[in-house]
Amino acid sequence: MNRPKSIYRKNFSLIIIFLVLISVIFVLALIVSYNLNQKYIEDAFASKKIDVLEQTIKPYNSLFQNKIPEITSYQGFLDSASAAKYADAVFHDFPFVTKIIFYDARISNQKNSTVVRNNLGISINAMYQFVPEIGKLSGLRIWNTTDEEDFKQMAVKLSDYIAFSDTSKESPQDEIFKTFYDVKSDKISYSNILRRTDIKTYRELSKNGNPSSYYKQNMMTFFLNPYLLRIRNLHKELYQDVSIQPVVYDPLGAENDNLVTEVALPGAFADFKLYFSSTQNYLTTETNRRFMPIGALVLLIYGFLVLVGWLIYRDLNFNIKLFKLQYDFINNFTHEFKTPVSVIKIAGSNLSGDSELTEKQRKQYGRILNEEADNLNDLMNKLLSFTQLENKSIDIKKEEINVGDFVNRYKETFKIKYPDFKISCGVHGVQSFYTDPVLLGSVFQNMIENAYKYSHPNKKVLSINVTHEKRNIIFSFADKGIGIQKNELSNIFGKFYRIENQYNQNGSVGLGLAFCKELVNFMNGEITVNSKVNVGSEFIITLPYEN
Amino acid sequence: MLKPLRILLFINVIIALCACNWHQTKLIPITDFFKTAEKSTFRISPDGKYISYLKPYKDKQNLFIQSLADGKERMATSFLDYPVGRDYFWTYNNKIVFNQDIIALDEYKMFTVDATTLKVHKIFSQEKVRITLLNRNKEEPDMISIRINKRDPANLDIYRLNIITGELIPYLVNPGNMTDWYPDANGKIRLVTTSDGVNKTILYRPDNNTPFKPIIENNFKTYVRPIAFTGEKNYFYALSNVNRDKTALVEINAEDGKEMKVIFACDNGDLQDAEYSKNKHRIEFVSWEAAKPQKHFLDSGMKAIYNKLLTALKGNQVNIIDRDSAENKFIVFSYTDRNPGSYYLYENTTGTLAKLGDINSSLKPDELCRMEPISFKASDGMTIGGYLTLPLGEKKTSLPLVVMPHDGVFGQSSRWRYDPEVQFLANRGYAVLQVNYRGSTGYGKDFYSAGFKEVGGKIQEDITDGVKWLIRTRVADPKKIAIFGGGFGGFSALYGVSFHPELYNCAIVQHGLINFFTYIKDAPPFQKPFVKMMYEMVGDPEADANQLRAISPVFHTDKIKAPLLIFQGAKDDRANISELNQFVRELQKQNGNAMVKYFLKPNERSVFRIQSNRMQMYTEIEKFLDNNMPVNP
Repeated sequence: MNRPKSIYRKNFSLIIIFLVLISVIFVLALIVSYNLNQKYIEDAFASKKIDVLEQTIKPYNSLFQNKIPEITSYQGFLDSASAAKYADAVFHDFPFVTKIIFYDARISNQKNSTVVRNNLGISINAMYQFVPEIGKLSGLRIWNTTDEEDFKQMAVKLSDYIAFSDTSKESPQDEIFKTFYDVKSDKISYSNILRRTDIKTYRELSKNGNPSSYYKQNMMTFFLNPYLLRIRNLHKELYQDVSIQPVVYDPLGAENDNLVTEVALPGAFADFKLYFSSTQNYLTTETNRRFMPIGALVLLIYGFLVLVGWLIYRDLNFNIKLFKLQYDFINNFTHEFKTPVSVIKIAGSNLSGDSELTEKQRKQYGRILNEEADNLNDLMNKLLSFTQLENKSIDIKKEEINVGDFVNRYKETFKIKYPDFKISCGVHGVQSFYTDPVLLGSVFQNMIENAYKYSHPNKKVLSINVTHEKRNIIFSFADKGIGIQKNELSNIFGKFYRIENQYNQNGSVGLGLAFCKELVNFMNGEITVNSKVNVGSEFIITLPYEN
Repeated sequence: MLKPLRILLFINVIIALCACNWHQTKLIPITDFFKTAEKSTFRISPDGKYISYLKPYKDKQNLFIQSLADGKERMATSFLDYPVGRDYFWTYNNKIVFNQDIIALDEYKMFTVDATTLKVHKIFSQEKVRITLLNRNKEEPDMISIRINKRDPANLDIYRLNIITGELIPYLVNPGNMTDWYPDANGKIRLVTTSDGVNKTILYRPDNNTPFKPIIENNFKTYVRPIAFTGEKNYFYALSNVNRDKTALVEINAEDGKEMKVIFACDNGDLQDAEYSKNKHRIEFVSWEAAKPQKHFLDSGMKAIYNKLLTALKGNQVNIIDRDSAENKFIVFSYTDRNPGSYYLYENTTGTLAKLGDINSSLKPDELCRMEPISFKASDGMTIGGYLTLPLGEKKTSLPLVVMPHDGVFGQSSRWRYDPEVQFLANRGYAVLQVNYRGSTGYGKDFYSAGFKEVGGKIQEDITDGVKWLIRTRVADPKKIAIFGGGFGGFSALYGVSFHPELYNCAIVQHGLINFFTYIKDAPPFQKPFVKMMYEMVGDPEADANQLRAISPVFHTDKIKAPLLIFQGAKDDRANISELNQFVRELQKQNGNAMVKYFLKPNERSVFRIQSNRMQMYTEIEKFLDNNMPVNP
């Protein structure tokens, strides 16, 4: 049969293109996301160091912003005992402070001071050194106070401030910082911040105070060891190794393959930096770790797309088959209808012919018309019930039937219809059966018709057996007909399937067995066939036996 | 079945009670409490023809003169830059000498204005010079004696100033430590006091040509204040607590400094003042504070005048603040705890009393609350005085309480008068307790020195005891107590919430003292007596370092958990702003920003002066108290 291509398109190349395309996209997505991830890791490697720095330097900031300014609260009245107490607290909270020098200074108008300006001298009254020891603090008074550079510098700044600061307004923050703080490499010097009132009285002191009176001023120098800063590596996944190194540290050679970055430490630690390094492998592992969920997601999406594609393909395939079926059906049917219609047409035209008809001729035409009308009717009934069955638009009207009576009735009917047909039947172990008699009748009619149809003219024999087995009732239709070839067995229940032979030249459309199968399935049963060519076939219908 | 009915009835009664209280108390706007006086600083001319006063002109205090003959008010000055200083005075030739403090240039300008012509004449302007009147003389109306620190900003010298020419004639050069001068009836200065900041020495010379010789020396525990020469021998009147607990009026022989006799002494308080009439050379009365202001008259004429005034102004406290030289016309100031005060002109011959003006006319005494003197026993048995102001209304128990410890740990105390802060809080429904803890002045020497070295100790206990006493007597609702103060009062507030967190809901701090090391440092080391006094009163910063550290709030932010409201002027010389900022920052970090509200005003010193800042402060206080301890829940 030559079918035009335009009727239904099945473009496999389109599906393949689709598959290829999404596969390409999948691969691309993997590559791009991996690269992006890699880039991100590299960026993070460069930028997250600030977090590490912030956390690492936090205790230093706390010392610088809170603990050291606390000295001012003592207003210069710290003495060796209270300073020791203070130092102890510092050592306890800030392990990177290794030594504190405490200068118990005096501001007076004595001339023999370390720094003298405008009649106001600043000198060391006493000097103590505190160092932490396990569990306690060791304090030591230092008697030689002549060569104290830290003190001198602070004293000069302080005396400048006393001499020149503007007492009409609060000193700006930067002036305060420049005067009372001295931040050098690894050490911070601090002296208690003076108020405006203090400055005024100091100036007064420089004018009219007597030489024996003095103001107390506390100055402390904190010695820090950057290597004792506890590094808080917040991003262990990025930085394999974080260390504190001198600013100039720049190793060559062995570590060349490593990824490194660094960030300078602030304030008193300005000579040092945080040095971060990770091997390429370490970062790759991290990249992979981070890529894993992304890759999985991409894969999932890909799988989903493929699944959707396959589902679409499956539906398309199904639709194609269905379409083909309907196409064949219409084709077949048209053909089937044509035969009786053309016979009726010929008979009609002969009847209306010019010549007189003989009695015999008239009867013959009458019989032909009658037969063909029956054929047509039969055809239409089948088609109609078949459609109804397929759409499940018929209801099962169950009633109790006597199996023996039911079978015998059909046997009698067909005896009349086909006098040459020898039907034998046997019912074993079943009395009555609960089912829809119309549907079951259709199955019987078809099975018997088929057996008659596909039997040699001289061997039209059918044996119907009804038995009961477990919960089922079994109807067996065994004939001694032409049989079915093995390779055809699976097709015979298809619609419009006909085995090509001389027995079914007319009055058969190949719907019978398909119809039977549909009916049996509809009644929750099943139909099977055993057959041998030229020996015969046995159709076995199993239906649930309900009582 | 009766129970729900009873509860319902109970609820109804409560609602009715609340409603009663609610209706009785009218909320007075904050601005009404803290208004600046419309007319103030009244003076009368020596001839009794004019009165003068300060009144704002375009927001700046300017001098106005009113003629008593026709009652016309005339504006004498129209300064728009800086106000006229409050310490102006009349001369005998009807001129007013006044000065203007040019804050930006740190400069004083001195002017005269003629009452008849209203001509303003500048005498001189000099940098960093402070001038006060010492004496004026009827015989030489153009010459006045003034104190001026022209030679040395730290020292006041006595000059005679010709107010026509501006010529200054040095009369008495201050060797560096003179603080007070007492001219005799002839204007001659024979009695002076010197001070090293703490110890005061009284010196005497028989005439201008003899050098001064010390006659009495006092340290910071004793007190002698000369008033005037009696006219008899070389005796002079003085207020003294030497050899007695409470200051009395005595007569002292200037020759040797010996006390001759006690003129008046009273048991219930230090004499604060003695009014001396230069015309009659007589002490008219002495005054002191015992629960309420008291007077004892030594002059019958003055007693008669006061009695007339007291009958005319019943229920008021009355003070004569100025008089003409004939002692006929008087400027009278009257006030109560519920009246900020009014000025009157009283004419003795006719007996007429005419009102000159009110300090704050928008307040009605009936809508304000009575300030009742109270006293209670501290835990160690000492009797502590103070004042309790209850809000209007029927409810007299279980009131929300605001405790207001006064500032100035040694040298001040809460007094019976109109206090805008107290009245404001009472009007908002809070009971207000003012405690004159030990160390407060006016209760005698023993009470004063009982406060020494008790900062953060018994002084604080006295405040706590006062609160506990009010809880015991069921006046205060123990769940609603706030503590509010400035300076030392601010310290007391912080101390209260640190060490008695169970007692106080919240604290309000104005220019608070947060560090005693800072406080002690205010005693300059070259003023040894001052340092000694400080060490004795508060503590030695080295020997008592642990104690001072223990009580200074700046070291104990961790103890403070209560909501805080803090006000501070950035120009407060004695405050360490960076330290306070740090203190607040730490508290905010610890307790959350909402718990510590901090207002740092750039152009204020300790006590807020700018009206908008004051209004904001009291609005914030009202809000803060309402959030933390609402009067009507």
